[in-house]
Amino acid sequence: MKKPLLYPVIFMVIVTSAFIAVLATFNQVTAKTIKFNNENELRHKILYIFDVLPESNDPIEIETIFNNRIAEKKFGDILAYALMDNNEEIAYAIPVSGPGLWGSITGYLGLNKDFTRIIGIEFITQSETPGLGGRISEEDYKKQFRNIDITSTLNNNYIISRPGAGGNVDAISGATQTSAAVVKFINEDLTEFLKTVEVSN
Amino acid sequence: MKSSEVNKIFSKGIFSENPILVQVIGICSALAVTNRMINSLIMGIALSFVTAFSSFTVSVLKDKTPKHIRMMVQVLIISSYVIMVDIFLKAYMIDMSKALGPYVGLIITNCIIMGRAEGFAISNPPIPSFLDGLAAGLGYTMVLLLISAVREILGFGTLFGYALLPAGFTKWTLMVMPPSAFFILACIMWAANSFRTKKQLKGVEKK
Repeated sequence: MKKPLLYPVIFMVIVTSAFIAVLATFNQVTAKTIKFNNENELRHKILYIFDVLPESNDPIEIETIFNNRIAEKKFGDILAYALMDNNEEIAYAIPVSGPGLWGSITGYLGLNKDFTRIIGIEFITQSETPGLGGRISEEDYKKQFRNIDITSTLNNNYIISRPGAGGNVDAISGATQTSAAVVKFINEDLTEFLKTVEVSN
Repeated sequence: MKSSEVNKIFSKGIFSENPILVQVIGICSALAVTNRMINSLIMGIALSFVTAFSSFTVSVLKDKTPKHIRMMVQVLIISSYVIMVDIFLKAYMIDMSKALGPYVGLIITNCIIMGRAEGFAISNPPIPSFLDGLAAGLGYTMVLLLISAVREILGFGTLFGYALLPAGFTKWTLMVMPPSAFFILACIMWAANSFRTKKQLKGVEKK
């Protein structure tokens, strides 16, 4: 039997167009919400680093605080965020990133005004094992980065994962690789950043 | 449609022809998203939605669809619904969208949907096809919830995010990792199959 040639083509074109029309409409309708969600997530994370999150998790409130208190700031090629207090920069969030166990991890590291203390951390993207390496995104791990003195650091090892004396961040048990990777890229990126700042000063 | 037919479709989808336990299709995602119950629930709902509506659409278009390009049309239909689910999650359930990650998009490749479209929808009217897809989706969801209940309780000590076991409980790290789903799925299949064969044997003896 000879197969008709034209009909399947026309049929496919019509069906495809119909579905594209539906999807495009749906996409248009939700585009704004999705964009706001994505921006809100970043705003939430930056505010978290500076520990100035509002008590309610209301996106509008987060947006207001973010617009009032956060400014973008460039250090050389590095785009960072600055926390403002009466038109004065009082803290910075600098980007850090590196390979994790399964994929790359990106985040921001909070530093105080004169770069002597780490004040917080937040991860923007990570695809580590849920329940193991993925726990770097949990409060118990992140809160260890609040208020770490980095003035007396040797050999650029700002973060040291070691139990007992000399260590400042506990690794996650069962997720050695992820913990080590995080420590490594933070130390590297922080070294790089401090060099940049020194040069520009 | 008679209610006996509806019952038959649902009991087939959920029990006697359960896509995971009996047909063993679509288990990739069953292994991937069952570490927490809430993930499984949302995944199950998403898959039921996609299977039901794509079966419905395939069935509506079946008389117009040329036989040799039907697979292409089915994939087109399925992917459209999956994209809708993906966009919906991104817009209104952002946390869930993050938790499920790439697996939402991968619903497209879930064999259950294509299986129901080819096995039922292509030769049945729209409404029964819709119910058939829904039933297969529910069967899938049920098994996922069973697996994730075991994994979440032993792996995190919680159920739907609520602490269930005392804080001193040593969490089973293995349960959080994908391989554990293999063991649990196998055990559930074992139980379900021996239950089914027992039932069938009884049926034979009665005769």
